[in-house]
Amino acid sequence: MSPSKKAKKTTAVRKTSAKAEPATAVLDLVTPPGPAKVESPRSGQQQEGRYVYGVIESRTPVGFGRSSIGGVNEDVYTVHYGDIAAVVSRTPVFIFDPTRDNALAHEHVIESVMKNYTIIPMSFGTVFRTDDDIREVLKSIYSSLKDVLKQMTGKLEFGLKVTWDRDRIIEELQREHDEIHRFHLELTRKHLQSTYFARMQLGRMIDKALAELAANYVREIYDGLRAVCVASRDNKPIGDKMIMNAAFLIQKAREAEFDAAVNRVAQKYGDRLNFKYTGPWPPYNFVNIRLKLERGGQG
Amino acid sequence: MAVERVSGGSSLIDVLDRVLDKGIVIDAWVRISLVGIDLITVEARVVVASIDTYLKYADAVGLTGLVSRPTLSEGDSEGGEGKPIEVRPRTSRTPRRRR
Repeated sequence: MSPSKKAKKTTAVRKTSAKAEPATAVLDLVTPPGPAKVESPRSGQQQEGRYVYGVIESRTPVGFGRSSIGGVNEDVYTVHYGDIAAVVSRTPVFIFDPTRDNALAHEHVIESVMKNYTIIPMSFGTVFRTDDDIREVLKSIYSSLKDVLKQMTGKLEFGLKVTWDRDRIIEELQREHDEIHRFHLELTRKHLQSTYFARMQLGRMIDKALAELAANYVREIYDGLRAVCVASRDNKPIGDKMIMNAAFLIQKAREAEFDAAVNRVAQKYGDRLNFKYTGPWPPYNFVNIRLKLERGGQG
Repeated sequence: MAVERVSGGSSLIDVLDRVLDKGIVIDAWVRISLVGIDLITVEARVVVASIDTYLKYADAVGLTGLVSRPTLSEGDSEGGEGKPIEVRPRTSRTPRRRR
């Protein structure tokens, strides 16, 4: 209720006033085709920017091969602030479409960084104008980045998607689930009068049984993996065949153990459940840093 | 049935699932209306900055903690409940307070 609270909520949009100190200067969003109005020291190349892949811990410059993002072929290098560094490559200032090529180029760089470093990944398509801008960002969120880097050191993410053959499971339910079986028989044999509603009812029974079954499987799978992981995250399954869409954070040292656990769990279900196991990923599902850029001056 | 692990880059869907909106996300949407003409029609999600960029935090962070309970400190684990790790920005939020 206090006015100051309220003011706080809305500052995100309104932000600073004329009183703004120089530090809050201008954030300039740049459109690709727009006229370059940034007075950068390198005014000859205003259109050049830096694509940022993520942040690592390192005091010394590191190279990570080349990146083909945006259809160019540029060195991947580091921009430092103290003991942390952004992994970047040169690029035109450009809005990147997440095409197959671009997404895979991004991922490819991340993978080569991960061979030797813990990387906090940046979301796809982040472009800064200059190395100095990047340093500025690193500086302003330094302590958060350090904290996250510290917590993610030596950890990897793995993805596990579990699907089943829904139709087959339904058939099984109709054969083996007492209640559903009986009801199904009645429906087919007796030509229930109100077939429509009876079918609706059957459908609901089946849905419920499917959900229960899926929840049981998912619980069992988590139980089988929990001891080997640091944390897990349950994402929403995609489509009606998927029953589990999870991410696991694993100690690198226990990678083999986790592999074995996944296999053990998967074997238990034979071909009833289908496991899709991916990784290693950087900890996408376990790091969520949202930055808001704010413009100083008059809004 | 053995499960084979496939590397991240081999599945575009899994890549997109992650790279588009996870990790460090710079969210410039809010700004668009402020920045003016050039940007209104463009999804300027992330093309950002100039030399005098100033970056602030709105809300920062944390390990996402739905099912997860990243207690990353102690070696224990049981990915159930738990509070997400909070990372607080050092940068001040400089809300204008009037009293």
